[in-house]
Amino acid sequence: MTPLPLEFPDPRIEEVLLSERQIADAVARLGQAIARDYDGRDLALVTILKGGVVFLADLCRAIDIPLTVDFMSISAYRPNVSGVVRIMKDLDDEISGRDVLIVEDIIDTGLSLGYLLRVLKERRPASLSVCTLMDKDVRRIVDLPIEYRGFSVPDRFLVGYGLDLNGLWRNLPYVATLQEHVWKGHPGD
Amino acid sequence: MSDEDPDSIAEDLPVSDRVARTVFVHPSERAAAQILDFYRINWEYEPTSFPLEWDAEGRVLAYFTPDFYLPDYDLYIELTTMNQNLVTKKNRKVRRLKELYPEVSIKIFYQKDFRKLLFRFGVPVRPREHAEGGGFEAHNEGGGSAE
Repeated sequence: MTPLPLEFPDPRIEEVLLSERQIADAVARLGQAIARDYDGRDLALVTILKGGVVFLADLCRAIDIPLTVDFMSISAYRPNVSGVVRIMKDLDDEISGRDVLIVEDIIDTGLSLGYLLRVLKERRPASLSVCTLMDKDVRRIVDLPIEYRGFSVPDRFLVGYGLDLNGLWRNLPYVATLQEHVWKGHPGD
Repeated sequence: MSDEDPDSIAEDLPVSDRVARTVFVHPSERAAAQILDFYRINWEYEPTSFPLEWDAEGRVLAYFTPDFYLPDYDLYIELTTMNQNLVTKKNRKVRRLKELYPEVSIKIFYQKDFRKLLFRFGVPVRPREHAEGGGFEAHNEGGGSAE
């Protein structure tokens, strides 16, 4: 763990789990591997709003082959609200016959990604793979094939580099843990 | 829900009905079923009891019944929301299950992990007193505990 930078004195932030340097190194490593594996193919990067945007922005610039980027948004589970997961914003581009790589900031339960994989598979891409910066596999309910993985992370509530709590802290350039009392309280407290 | 088309509303109904029809032993199991339903993951509640111990005559002395079975993933899930001393007993059962039925896939979610999981989905929880069985209670439904 890296000491928390003094310029961010929010007491709810505990400590830095992944520094800017560590993230940058992982992004470069993943970008090189993806560029090598997809050379000569029709690569489409797809990310899930909003958390994956920060990682996608860095990753796509670390992949030095032609590619497109696209975005999806799906509804989030809310207690006491009936219904099922839905696509709130669909892709702008067709993916049939293309090599689709889903770019995630973090995968924990795998439930939302599992749904997304089922949806996108029906659109008959040439291939469908997953790249995640962080893998919280201790919480995995649904096992999923993850081809590219930046870090395995512990089961802590993480914020920064796209990850949020109630919309906050996405803009941190590093990934940090939250003080335990923050997630022990009711959501939104 | 008035802004949804009729087909999507109809799609919702069996999901809610299914959770409503199921009698869960623990409210956290109901919370888990609702989350699985939301993500359109098929589940069965306590569909199988695995014999773990037999007497000399072959009569079953002890069973283990995992909470959920996810047929699309051929996976059993056990939620442990009890105190640590009871978790030890359940761990022993899961280990025995894996010894006797190595082909069975099972994942166990401990109280702390499941509490974090519920928090992740915005489900408030409260600690349960020892007299209530320990663990915690998920507050995501109108009805009370089935216990």
